[in-house]
Amino acid sequence: MKNELKIITKDWDKLNPLRIEDYIAIGGYQSLEKFISKLKPSEIIAEIKESQLAGRGGAGFLMGEKLAQVAEEKGTKYFICNLDESEPGTYKDRAIVDHNPHLLLEGIILCSLAIGAEKAFIYLNGRYEEQREILAQAIQQARKKYFLGKNIFQSDYKLSIELFSGAGAYICGEETALINSLEGNRGEPKLKPPYPVKAGLFGCPTVINNAETIANIPWIIKNSGEKYKEIGSISSPGSKLFILGGVVKNKGLIEAQTGITLRELIYDFGGGLLSGKEFWFAQLGGSSGRLLLEDELDIKLDFNKKNQYPLGSGSVLVVDKTVDIYDLMLSWASFFRRESCGKCVPCREGTFRLWGIIKRLRDREISQRDKEAMEDILWTLNNTTFCPLGKFSATAIQDAITKLGKDIFKKNN
Amino acid sequence: MLAKTVEKILLEFNPQKRNLLPVLKNINSVFGYVSAKDAQKVADYFSLPLALIFQTASFYDEIKTKKSSAIVIQVCSSSNCAVNGAFNLVREIEIFLKIKAGDDNNLKIKLEEISCLGHCGEGPIMLVNGKKYERVNVSELYKILEEWLGN
Repeated sequence: MKNELKIITKDWDKLNPLRIEDYIAIGGYQSLEKFISKLKPSEIIAEIKESQLAGRGGAGFLMGEKLAQVAEEKGTKYFICNLDESEPGTYKDRAIVDHNPHLLLEGIILCSLAIGAEKAFIYLNGRYEEQREILAQAIQQARKKYFLGKNIFQSDYKLSIELFSGAGAYICGEETALINSLEGNRGEPKLKPPYPVKAGLFGCPTVINNAETIANIPWIIKNSGEKYKEIGSISSPGSKLFILGGVVKNKGLIEAQTGITLRELIYDFGGGLLSGKEFWFAQLGGSSGRLLLEDELDIKLDFNKKNQYPLGSGSVLVVDKTVDIYDLMLSWASFFRRESCGKCVPCREGTFRLWGIIKRLRDREISQRDKEAMEDILWTLNNTTFCPLGKFSATAIQDAITKLGKDIFKKNN
Repeated sequence: MLAKTVEKILLEFNPQKRNLLPVLKNINSVFGYVSAKDAQKVADYFSLPLALIFQTASFYDEIKTKKSSAIVIQVCSSSNCAVNGAFNLVREIEIFLKIKAGDDNNLKIKLEEISCLGHCGEGPIMLVNGKKYERVNVSELYKILEEWLGN
Protein backbone atom coordinates (compact mmCIF):
# COMPACT_ATOMS: atom_id res chain seq x y z
CA MET A 1 0.00 0.00 0.00
CA LYS A 2 1.13 3.54 -0.74
CA ASN A 3 2.77 5.27 2.20
CA GLU A 4 2.84 2.06 4.14
CA LEU A 5 5.74 1.82 6.49
CA LYS A 6 7.07 -0.46 9.18
CA ILE A 7 9.57 1.07 11.55
CA ILE A 8 7.89 0.68 14.89
CA THR A 9 5.40 -2.02 13.95
CA LYS A 10 8.02 -4.14 12.15
CA ASP A 11 7.66 -7.89 12.77
CA TRP A 12 4.94 -7.42 15.38
CA ASP A 13 3.25 -10.62 14.28
CA LYS A 14 6.46 -12.62 14.85
CA LEU A 15 7.26 -11.36 18.32
CA ASN A 16 6.35 -12.66 21.72
CA PRO A 17 6.55 -9.58 23.96
CA LEU A 18 7.69 -11.69 26.89
CA ARG A 19 10.72 -13.16 25.09
CA ILE A 20 13.83 -11.05 24.60
CA GLU A 21 15.22 -13.77 22.30
CA ASP A 22 12.53 -12.99 19.72
CA TYR A 23 13.58 -9.38 19.58
CA ILE A 24 17.28 -10.23 19.39
CA ALA A 25 16.53 -12.65 16.55
CA ILE A 26 15.15 -9.84 14.38
CA GLY A 27 18.19 -7.65 15.02
CA GLY A 28 17.17 -6.15 18.35
CA TYR A 29 19.73 -4.40 20.53
CA GLN A 30 22.11 -4.17 17.56
CA SER A 31 21.79 -0.39 17.61
CA LEU A 32 22.84 -0.41 21.25
CA GLU A 33 25.79 -2.64 20.45
CA LYS A 34 26.75 -0.35 17.56
CA PHE A 35 26.65 2.64 19.90
CA ILE A 36 28.72 0.99 22.64
CA SER A 37 31.36 -0.37 20.30
CA LYS A 38 31.68 2.40 17.72
CA LEU A 39 30.00 5.67 18.55
CA LYS A 40 30.38 8.57 20.99
CA PRO A 41 27.29 10.04 22.73
CA SER A 42 27.70 13.24 20.73
CA GLU A 43 27.53 11.24 17.49
CA ILE A 44 24.23 9.68 18.54
CA ILE A 45 22.76 13.07 19.30
CA ALA A 46 24.04 14.42 15.98
CA GLU A 47 22.35 11.50 14.25
CA ILE A 48 19.02 12.15 15.99
CA LYS A 49 19.31 15.87 15.21
CA GLU A 50 19.94 15.02 11.57
CA SER A 51 16.82 12.86 11.50
CA GLN A 52 14.60 15.87 12.41
CA LEU A 53 12.57 13.54 14.65
CA ALA A 54 9.78 15.57 16.25
CA GLY A 55 8.14 14.60 19.54
CA ARG A 56 5.14 12.36 18.91
CA GLY A 57 3.24 13.30 22.04
CA GLY A 58 1.53 16.23 20.38
CA ALA A 59 3.70 19.32 20.75
CA GLY A 60 6.19 18.18 18.11
CA PHE A 61 9.37 19.59 19.70
CA LEU A 62 12.54 18.34 18.00
CA MET A 63 13.96 15.50 20.05
CA GLY A 64 17.59 16.07 19.03
CA GLU A 65 17.46 19.63 20.42
CA LYS A 66 16.22 18.43 23.79
CA LEU A 67 18.88 15.74 24.04
CA ALA A 68 21.64 18.14 23.00
CA GLN A 69 20.62 20.71 25.60
CA VAL A 70 20.69 18.21 28.44
CA ALA A 71 23.87 16.52 27.23
CA GLU A 72 25.68 19.85 27.73
CA GLU A 73 24.62 20.06 31.39
CA LYS A 74 26.75 18.65 34.18
CA GLY A 75 25.84 16.57 37.22
CA THR A 76 22.93 14.19 37.73
CA LYS A 77 20.50 13.95 34.83
CA TYR A 78 17.36 11.96 34.20
CA PHE A 79 15.58 10.55 31.22
CA ILE A 80 11.83 9.99 31.39
CA CYS A 81 9.72 8.00 28.98
CA ASN A 82 6.21 9.42 28.98
CA LEU A 83 3.76 6.53 28.77
CA ASP A 84 0.93 8.29 30.56
CA GLU A 85 -1.25 7.88 27.55
CA SER A 86 -4.73 9.06 28.41
CA GLU A 87 -6.00 11.03 25.42
CA PRO A 88 -9.41 9.56 24.56
CA GLY A 89 -9.20 7.29 21.55
CA THR A 90 -5.44 6.77 21.78
CA TYR A 91 -3.66 3.53 22.59
CA LYS A 92 -0.56 3.62 20.40
CA ASP A 93 1.94 3.54 23.29
CA ARG A 94 0.09 0.66 24.90
CA ALA A 95 0.30 -1.19 21.58
CA ILE A 96 4.08 -0.70 21.47
CA VAL A 97 4.45 -2.25 24.92
CA ASP A 98 1.97 -5.02 24.14
CA HIS A 99 3.87 -6.07 21.03
CA ASN A 100 7.48 -5.05 21.40
CA PRO A 101 8.53 -3.72 24.81
CA HIS A 102 12.22 -4.24 24.04
CA LEU A 103 12.13 -1.76 21.17
CA LEU A 104 11.06 0.86 23.69
CA LEU A 105 13.71 -0.23 26.19
CA GLU A 106 16.44 -0.08 23.58
CA GLY A 107 15.35 3.42 22.66
CA ILE A 108 15.34 4.50 26.29
CA ILE A 109 18.80 3.02 26.90
CA LEU A 110 20.24 4.74 23.82
CA CYS A 111 18.81 8.14 24.73
CA SER A 112 19.77 7.89 28.40
CA LEU A 113 23.37 6.95 27.63
CA ALA A 114 23.58 9.67 24.99
CA ILE A 115 22.72 12.42 27.47
CA GLY A 116 24.76 10.88 30.28
CA ALA A 117 21.86 9.87 32.52
CA GLU A 118 22.33 6.90 34.84
CA LYS A 119 18.70 6.64 35.77
CA ALA A 120 15.64 6.54 33.58
CA PHE A 121 11.98 6.42 34.48
CA ILE A 122 8.98 5.11 32.61
CA TYR A 123 5.88 6.98 33.74
CA LEU A 124 2.94 4.69 33.00
CA ASN A 125 -0.74 5.43 32.90
CA GLY A 126 -2.11 4.07 36.20
CA ARG A 127 -4.60 1.88 34.33
CA TYR A 128 -1.89 0.10 32.34
CA GLU A 129 -1.28 -2.67 34.88
CA GLU A 130 -0.70 -5.44 32.34
CA GLN A 131 1.77 -3.23 30.49
CA ARG A 132 3.63 -2.59 33.74
CA GLU A 133 4.03 -6.35 34.16
CA ILE A 134 5.31 -6.77 30.59
CA LEU A 135 7.82 -3.95 31.02
CA ALA A 136 8.98 -5.25 34.41
CA GLN A 137 9.73 -8.63 32.83
CA ALA A 138 11.43 -7.01 29.85
CA ILE A 139 13.68 -4.96 32.15
CA GLN A 140 14.64 -8.13 34.06
CA GLN A 141 15.54 -9.92 30.83
CA ALA A 142 17.55 -6.98 29.52
CA ARG A 143 19.48 -6.81 32.76
CA LYS A 144 20.35 -10.50 32.56
CA LYS A 145 21.76 -9.96 29.07
CA TYR A 146 23.80 -6.95 30.29
CA PHE A 147 21.87 -4.47 28.17
CA LEU A 148 21.00 -2.71 31.41
CA GLY A 149 22.57 -2.28 34.82
CA LYS A 150 26.29 -1.78 35.41
CA ASN A 151 28.80 -2.39 32.61
CA ILE A 152 26.43 -2.49 29.67
CA PHE A 153 28.09 -4.67 27.01
CA GLN A 154 31.21 -4.79 29.24
CA SER A 155 31.63 -1.03 28.94
CA ASP A 156 31.64 1.62 31.66
CA TYR A 157 28.13 2.74 30.81
CA LYS A 158 25.50 2.11 33.45
CA LEU A 159 21.78 2.65 33.61
CA SER A 160 18.81 1.55 35.66
CA ILE A 161 15.20 1.93 34.58
CA GLU A 162 12.42 2.40 37.11
CA LEU A 163 8.73 1.96 36.43
CA PHE A 164 6.37 4.47 37.95
CA SER A 165 2.60 4.24 37.66
CA GLY A 166 0.38 7.28 37.69
CA ALA A 167 -3.01 7.20 39.33
CA GLY A 168 -5.48 8.38 36.74
CA ALA A 169 -4.85 11.98 35.80
CA TYR A 170 -4.88 13.19 32.20
CA ILE A 171 -2.87 16.30 33.03
CA CYS A 172 0.10 14.18 34.15
CA GLY A 173 0.93 13.70 30.48
CA GLU A 174 2.06 17.33 30.51
CA GLU A 175 5.78 17.23 31.29
CA THR A 176 5.94 19.53 34.31
CA ALA A 177 2.84 17.92 35.82
CA LEU A 178 4.42 14.52 35.23
CA ILE A 179 7.51 15.63 37.14
CA ASN A 180 5.36 16.88 40.02
CA SER A 181 3.58 13.54 40.10
CA LEU A 182 6.86 11.59 40.11
CA GLU A 183 8.08 13.68 43.03
CA GLY A 184 5.02 12.74 45.06
CA ASN A 185 3.10 15.99 44.65
CA ARG A 186 -0.22 16.86 43.06
CA GLY A 187 0.11 16.46 39.33
CA GLU A 188 -0.29 20.13 38.52
CA PRO A 189 1.70 21.83 35.78
CA LYS A 190 4.48 24.23 36.71
CA LEU A 191 5.39 27.56 35.20
CA LYS A 192 7.88 27.36 32.32
CA PRO A 193 10.69 28.49 32.19
CA PRO A 194 12.65 26.90 33.73
CA TYR A 195 12.11 24.11 31.27
CA PRO A 196 12.72 20.51 32.35
CA VAL A 197 15.89 20.44 30.24
CA LYS A 198 17.34 22.95 32.76
CA ALA A 199 15.53 22.07 35.98
CA GLY A 200 13.35 18.99 35.78
CA LEU A 201 12.98 15.98 38.04
CA PHE A 202 14.35 16.75 41.55
CA GLY A 203 15.69 19.98 40.05
CA CYS A 204 18.07 18.15 37.69
CA PRO A 205 18.18 18.48 33.90
CA THR A 206 15.66 16.04 32.47
CA VAL A 207 14.57 14.90 29.05
CA ILE A 208 10.96 13.75 28.76
CA ASN A 209 9.80 12.07 25.59
CA ASN A 210 6.77 10.22 24.43
CA ALA A 211 7.13 6.45 24.11
CA GLU A 212 6.41 6.52 20.38
CA THR A 213 9.20 9.05 19.75
CA ILE A 214 11.66 6.86 21.64
CA ALA A 215 10.61 3.77 19.69
CA ASN A 216 11.99 5.43 16.53
CA ILE A 217 15.51 5.80 17.94
CA PRO A 218 16.88 2.25 17.40
CA TRP A 219 15.98 2.47 13.69
CA ILE A 220 17.65 5.88 13.36
CA ILE A 221 20.88 4.68 14.98
CA LYS A 222 20.91 1.57 12.83
CA ASN A 223 20.07 3.20 9.49
CA SER A 224 21.27 6.81 10.02
CA GLY A 225 19.32 10.00 10.53
CA GLU A 226 19.74 10.96 6.91
CA LYS A 227 17.70 7.96 5.79
CA TYR A 228 15.02 8.72 8.36
CA LYS A 229 14.75 12.27 7.06
CA GLU A 230 13.86 10.97 3.61
CA ILE A 231 10.67 9.34 4.90
CA GLY A 232 7.41 11.21 4.71
CA SER A 233 6.86 14.94 5.08
CA ILE A 234 9.74 17.38 4.77
CA SER A 235 8.91 19.51 7.79
CA SER A 236 8.58 16.60 10.22
CA PRO A 237 9.77 13.38 8.63
CA GLY A 238 9.38 9.82 9.77
CA SER A 239 6.74 7.35 10.74
CA LYS A 240 3.65 8.00 12.80
CA LEU A 241 1.24 5.68 14.53
CA PHE A 242 -2.40 6.49 13.93
CA ILE A 243 -5.45 5.05 15.65
CA LEU A 244 -8.57 4.83 13.56
CA GLY A 245 -11.89 4.75 15.36
CA GLY A 246 -15.54 5.43 14.76
CA VAL A 247 -17.46 4.26 11.72
CA VAL A 248 -14.53 3.03 9.58
CA LYS A 249 -14.32 -0.57 8.40
CA ASN A 250 -10.89 -1.40 9.78
CA LYS A 251 -10.50 0.14 13.18
CA GLY A 252 -7.21 0.04 14.99
CA LEU A 253 -3.57 0.94 14.78
CA ILE A 254 -1.84 2.01 11.59
CA GLU A 255 1.74 2.99 10.95
CA ALA A 256 2.14 5.42 8.08
CA GLN A 257 4.47 8.14 6.87
CA THR A 258 3.93 11.66 8.09
CA GLY A 259 2.46 13.87 5.42
CA ILE A 260 -0.25 11.33 4.59
CA THR A 261 -3.68 12.88 4.14
CA LEU A 262 -6.65 12.10 6.29
CA ARG A 263 -8.52 10.87 3.23
CA GLU A 264 -5.81 8.30 2.47
CA LEU A 265 -5.84 7.22 6.08
CA ILE A 266 -9.59 6.68 6.20
CA TYR A 267 -10.15 5.25 2.73
CA ASP A 268 -6.87 3.45 1.85
CA PHE A 269 -5.88 2.15 5.27
CA GLY A 270 -9.23 2.15 7.03
CA GLY A 271 -11.08 0.61 4.10
CA GLY A 272 -13.57 3.45 4.01
CA LEU A 273 -16.72 3.85 6.01
CA LEU A 274 -18.97 1.04 7.17
CA SER A 275 -21.66 0.35 4.60
CA GLY A 276 -24.66 2.61 4.88
CA LYS A 277 -22.79 5.27 6.82
CA GLU A 278 -22.41 8.81 5.55
CA PHE A 279 -19.31 10.82 6.50
CA TRP A 280 -20.06 13.85 8.66
CA PHE A 281 -16.76 14.90 10.20
CA ALA A 282 -13.55 13.49 11.63
CA GLN A 283 -11.84 14.47 14.85
CA LEU A 284 -8.08 14.50 14.75
CA GLY A 285 -6.03 13.91 17.91
CA GLY A 286 -8.48 12.76 20.56
CA SER A 287 -10.93 14.84 22.55
CA SER A 288 -8.65 17.85 22.37
CA GLY A 289 -8.51 17.71 18.58
CA ARG A 290 -10.08 19.76 15.83
CA LEU A 291 -12.94 18.70 13.60
CA LEU A 292 -12.50 18.29 9.86
CA LEU A 293 -15.33 18.30 7.36
CA GLU A 294 -15.39 16.39 4.08
CA ASP A 295 -13.68 19.16 2.06
CA GLU A 296 -10.79 19.37 4.53
CA LEU A 297 -9.78 15.73 4.32
CA ASP A 298 -6.91 16.41 1.94
CA ILE A 299 -4.71 18.32 4.36
CA LYS A 300 -1.38 16.72 5.10
CA LEU A 301 -0.83 15.30 8.56
CA ASP A 302 2.49 16.29 10.10
CA PHE A 303 3.97 18.24 12.99
CA ASN A 304 4.55 21.46 11.08
CA LYS A 305 3.99 24.34 13.52
CA LYS A 306 2.05 26.28 10.89
CA ASN A 307 -0.36 23.43 10.47
CA GLN A 308 -3.92 24.56 11.00
CA TYR A 309 -4.92 21.10 12.18
CA PRO A 310 -2.44 19.81 14.74
CA LEU A 311 -1.87 16.10 14.59
CA GLY A 312 -1.90 15.71 18.36
CA SER A 313 -1.70 12.15 19.56
CA GLY A 314 -2.56 10.78 16.12
CA SER A 315 -5.95 9.29 16.85
CA VAL A 316 -8.73 9.77 14.33
CA LEU A 317 -12.41 9.48 15.17
CA VAL A 318 -14.72 9.26 12.18
CA VAL A 319 -18.25 10.39 12.91
CA ASP A 320 -21.37 9.88 10.82
CA LYS A 321 -24.76 11.51 10.97
CA THR A 322 -26.35 8.80 13.09
CA VAL A 323 -24.18 9.79 16.04
CA ASP A 324 -25.87 11.94 18.64
CA ILE A 325 -23.75 15.08 18.47
CA TYR A 326 -25.01 16.23 21.87
CA ASP A 327 -23.69 13.09 23.50
CA LEU A 328 -20.35 13.60 21.82
CA MET A 329 -20.17 17.23 22.91
CA LEU A 330 -21.10 16.22 26.43
CA SER A 331 -18.36 13.61 26.30
CA TRP A 332 -15.75 16.27 25.46
CA ALA A 333 -17.06 18.70 28.05
CA SER A 334 -17.34 16.16 30.85
CA PHE A 335 -13.91 14.75 30.09
CA PHE A 336 -12.24 18.14 30.53
CA ARG A 337 -14.38 19.02 33.55
CA ARG A 338 -13.12 15.84 35.22
CA GLU A 339 -9.54 16.25 34.12
CA SER A 340 -9.02 19.96 34.76
CA CYS A 341 -6.50 19.96 37.59
CA GLY A 342 -7.97 22.98 39.36
CA LYS A 343 -4.79 25.00 39.51
CA CYS A 344 -6.03 28.01 37.55
CA VAL A 345 -9.47 29.59 37.77
CA PRO A 346 -10.30 30.01 34.06
CA CYS A 347 -9.90 26.31 33.41
CA ARG A 348 -11.39 25.02 36.66
CA GLU A 349 -14.49 27.21 36.38
CA GLY A 350 -14.62 27.38 32.60
CA THR A 351 -14.69 23.63 32.04
CA PHE A 352 -17.33 23.27 34.76
CA ARG A 353 -19.62 25.96 33.34
CA LEU A 354 -19.13 24.69 29.82
CA TRP A 355 -20.17 21.21 30.95
CA GLY A 356 -23.29 22.66 32.55
CA ILE A 357 -24.27 24.48 29.38
CA ILE A 358 -23.63 21.48 27.13
CA LYS A 359 -25.72 19.38 29.47
CA ARG A 360 -28.59 21.84 29.12
CA LEU A 361 -28.04 21.89 25.37
CA ARG A 362 -28.41 18.11 25.30
CA ASP A 363 -31.53 18.22 27.44
CA ARG A 364 -32.96 20.92 25.10
CA GLU A 365 -33.07 23.46 27.91
CA ILE A 366 -30.48 25.89 26.62
CA SER A 367 -31.34 29.57 27.00
CA GLN A 368 -30.23 32.66 25.10
CA ARG A 369 -28.10 33.59 28.10
CA ASP A 370 -26.31 30.24 27.90
CA LYS A 371 -25.49 30.80 24.25
CA GLU A 372 -23.91 34.16 25.01
CA ALA A 373 -22.05 32.86 28.04
CA MET A 374 -20.71 29.98 25.99
CA GLU A 375 -18.88 32.35 23.65
CA ASP A 376 -17.38 34.14 26.63
CA ILE A 377 -16.26 30.92 28.29
CA LEU A 378 -14.75 29.53 25.11
CA TRP A 379 -12.75 32.72 24.60
CA THR A 380 -11.51 32.62 28.19
CA LEU A 381 -10.51 28.96 27.94
CA ASN A 382 -8.75 29.64 24.68
CA ASN A 383 -6.75 32.63 25.82
CA THR A 384 -6.20 32.77 29.54
CA THR A 385 -5.51 29.33 31.01
CA PHE A 386 -2.21 28.36 32.64
CA CYS A 387 -1.48 25.29 30.54
CA PRO A 388 -2.77 24.02 27.19
CA LEU A 389 -5.51 21.89 28.78
CA GLY A 390 -7.86 24.86 28.87
CA LYS A 391 -7.31 25.50 25.19
CA PHE A 392 -7.84 21.81 24.44
CA SER A 393 -11.18 21.83 26.21
CA ALA A 394 -12.45 24.64 23.98
CA THR A 395 -11.12 23.40 20.63
CA ALA A 396 -13.61 20.70 19.70
CA ILE A 397 -16.66 22.51 21.01
CA GLN A 398 -15.65 25.72 19.27
CA ASP A 399 -15.27 23.78 16.03
CA ALA A 400 -18.60 22.05 16.52
CA ILE A 401 -20.33 25.40 16.89
CA THR A 402 -18.63 27.14 13.96
CA LYS A 403 -18.58 24.19 11.58
CA LEU A 404 -21.69 22.24 12.45
CA GLY A 405 -23.40 25.27 13.98
CA LYS A 406 -26.59 25.36 12.00
CA ASP A 407 -27.14 21.66 12.42
CA ILE A 408 -26.58 21.85 16.13
CA PHE A 409 -28.93 24.61 17.09
CA LYS A 410 -31.59 23.75 14.51
CA LYS A 411 -32.61 20.60 16.32
CA ASN A 412 -33.00 22.77 19.34
CA ASN A 413 -35.92 24.91 18.16
CA MET B 1 -2.33 -15.38 53.77
CA LEU B 2 -1.78 -12.84 56.47
CA ALA B 3 -3.83 -9.70 56.26
CA LYS B 4 -1.91 -6.74 54.94
CA THR B 5 -1.72 -3.82 57.33
CA VAL B 6 -0.82 -0.24 56.59
CA GLU B 7 2.36 -0.68 58.61
CA LYS B 8 3.44 -3.58 56.44
CA ILE B 9 2.80 -1.62 53.27
CA LEU B 10 4.79 1.33 54.61
CA LEU B 11 7.79 -0.82 55.45
CA GLU B 12 8.05 -1.89 51.82
CA PHE B 13 8.99 1.66 50.85
CA ASN B 14 11.67 4.15 51.86
CA PRO B 15 10.18 7.24 53.48
CA GLN B 16 11.11 9.48 50.56
CA LYS B 17 8.44 11.75 49.19
CA ARG B 18 8.69 10.24 45.74
CA ASN B 19 7.34 7.01 47.19
CA LEU B 20 4.22 8.73 48.45
CA LEU B 21 2.05 8.07 45.43
CA PRO B 22 2.94 4.34 45.21
CA VAL B 23 2.23 3.97 48.95
CA LEU B 24 -1.15 5.66 48.65
CA LYS B 25 -2.04 3.52 45.62
CA ASN B 26 -1.08 0.42 47.55
CA ILE B 27 -3.18 1.33 50.58
CA ASN B 28 -6.06 2.22 48.29
CA SER B 29 -5.92 -1.11 46.47
CA VAL B 30 -5.92 -3.11 49.73
CA PHE B 31 -8.49 -1.13 51.73
CA GLY B 32 -10.51 0.49 48.96
CA TYR B 33 -9.71 3.99 50.20
CA VAL B 34 -7.24 5.97 52.28
CA SER B 35 -8.85 6.75 55.62
CA ALA B 36 -7.86 9.70 57.82
CA LYS B 37 -6.33 7.26 60.30
CA ASP B 38 -4.21 5.57 57.64
CA ALA B 39 -3.23 8.93 56.19
CA GLN B 40 -1.95 9.96 59.63
CA LYS B 41 0.21 6.83 59.74
CA VAL B 42 1.59 7.68 56.32
CA ALA B 43 2.27 11.24 57.45
CA ASP B 44 4.17 10.01 60.52
CA TYR B 45 6.20 7.53 58.49
CA PHE B 46 7.17 10.11 55.85
CA SER B 47 7.59 12.90 58.44
CA LEU B 48 5.26 15.09 56.41
CA PRO B 49 2.22 17.11 57.53
CA LEU B 50 -1.11 15.32 57.21
CA ALA B 51 -2.36 18.07 54.90
CA LEU B 52 0.39 17.21 52.41
CA ILE B 53 -0.69 13.57 52.31
CA PHE B 54 -4.26 14.58 51.49
CA GLN B 55 -3.01 17.18 49.05
CA THR B 56 -1.54 14.41 46.94
CA ALA B 57 -4.18 11.78 47.67
CA SER B 58 -7.14 13.95 46.77
CA PHE B 59 -5.73 14.83 43.35
CA TYR B 60 -5.78 11.43 41.70
CA ASP B 61 -8.83 9.62 40.39
CA GLU B 62 -7.61 6.21 41.44
CA ILE B 63 -7.11 7.16 45.08
CA LYS B 64 -10.23 7.60 47.17
CA THR B 65 -10.27 9.42 50.47
CA LYS B 66 -13.79 8.35 51.35
CA LYS B 67 -15.17 4.89 51.82
CA SER B 68 -16.72 4.00 48.50
CA SER B 69 -20.07 2.35 47.87
CA ALA B 70 -20.38 -1.44 47.97
CA ILE B 71 -20.88 -1.56 44.22
CA VAL B 72 -19.24 0.98 41.94
CA ILE B 73 -20.32 1.05 38.31
CA GLN B 74 -18.03 3.04 36.04
CA VAL B 75 -18.86 3.82 32.44
CA CYS B 76 -16.23 5.27 30.11
CA SER B 77 -17.74 8.37 28.55
CA SER B 78 -14.80 9.45 26.41
CA SER B 79 -15.38 10.20 22.75
CA ASN B 80 -14.96 6.73 21.21
CA CYS B 81 -17.20 5.11 23.80
CA ALA B 82 -19.64 8.02 23.59
CA VAL B 83 -20.21 7.53 19.86
CA ASN B 84 -20.85 3.87 20.56
CA GLY B 85 -23.62 4.58 23.03
CA ALA B 86 -21.97 5.04 26.43
CA PHE B 87 -24.47 7.72 27.41
CA ASN B 88 -27.35 5.39 26.60
CA LEU B 89 -25.93 3.00 29.16
CA VAL B 90 -25.64 5.80 31.72
CA ARG B 91 -29.26 6.88 31.14
CA GLU B 92 -30.44 3.28 31.22
CA ILE B 93 -28.69 2.61 34.55
CA GLU B 94 -29.91 5.88 36.04
CA ILE B 95 -33.52 5.02 35.30
CA PHE B 96 -33.32 1.34 36.17
CA LEU B 97 -31.52 1.74 39.49
CA LYS B 98 -33.03 5.14 40.30
CA ILE B 99 -29.61 6.70 40.92
CA LYS B 100 -27.77 9.67 39.42
CA ALA B 101 -24.34 9.52 37.85
CA GLY B 102 -21.77 11.11 40.13
CA ASP B 103 -23.86 10.85 43.30
CA ASP B 104 -21.45 10.13 46.16
CA ASN B 105 -23.92 9.65 48.97
CA ASN B 106 -25.37 6.26 48.24
CA LEU B 107 -23.52 3.65 50.30
CA LYS B 108 -24.91 0.69 48.37
CA ILE B 109 -24.33 1.59 44.78
CA LYS B 110 -22.60 4.29 42.83
CA LEU B 111 -22.53 5.20 39.16
CA GLU B 112 -19.79 7.35 37.70
CA GLU B 113 -18.47 8.39 34.33
CA ILE B 114 -14.76 7.84 33.85
CA SER B 115 -12.11 8.86 31.34
CA CYS B 116 -10.49 6.80 28.61
CA LEU B 117 -8.87 3.50 29.60
CA GLY B 118 -7.16 2.96 26.23
CA HIS B 119 -9.44 0.16 25.03
CA CYS B 120 -11.15 2.37 22.49
CA GLY B 121 -11.63 -0.29 19.84
CA GLU B 122 -13.75 -2.36 22.20
CA GLY B 123 -16.13 0.31 23.50
CA PRO B 124 -18.35 1.07 25.21
CA ILE B 125 -16.37 -0.01 28.24
CA MET B 126 -17.92 -0.52 31.63
CA LEU B 127 -16.32 -1.46 34.93
CA VAL B 128 -18.13 -2.95 37.91
CA ASN B 129 -15.94 -2.94 41.02
CA GLY B 130 -12.94 -2.97 38.70
CA LYS B 131 -14.12 -5.86 36.51
CA LYS B 132 -14.03 -4.83 32.87
CA TYR B 133 -16.83 -5.42 30.36
CA GLU B 134 -16.34 -4.62 26.68
CA ARG B 135 -18.80 -3.77 23.89
CA VAL B 136 -21.66 -3.46 26.34
CA ASN B 137 -25.09 -2.98 24.80
CA VAL B 138 -28.35 -2.47 26.61
CA SER B 139 -29.43 -6.12 26.79
CA GLU B 140 -25.99 -7.14 28.03
CA LEU B 141 -26.10 -4.33 30.53
CA TYR B 142 -29.09 -5.91 32.23
CA LYS B 143 -27.33 -9.27 32.38
CA ILE B 144 -24.33 -7.63 34.04
CA LEU B 145 -26.49 -5.73 36.51
CA GLU B 146 -28.34 -8.93 37.37
CA GLU B 147 -25.04 -10.71 37.91
CA TRP B 148 -24.00 -8.13 40.51
CA LEU B 149 -27.32 -7.21 42.04
CA GLY B 150 -28.98 -10.59 41.64
CA ASN B 151 -30.88 -10.68 44.89
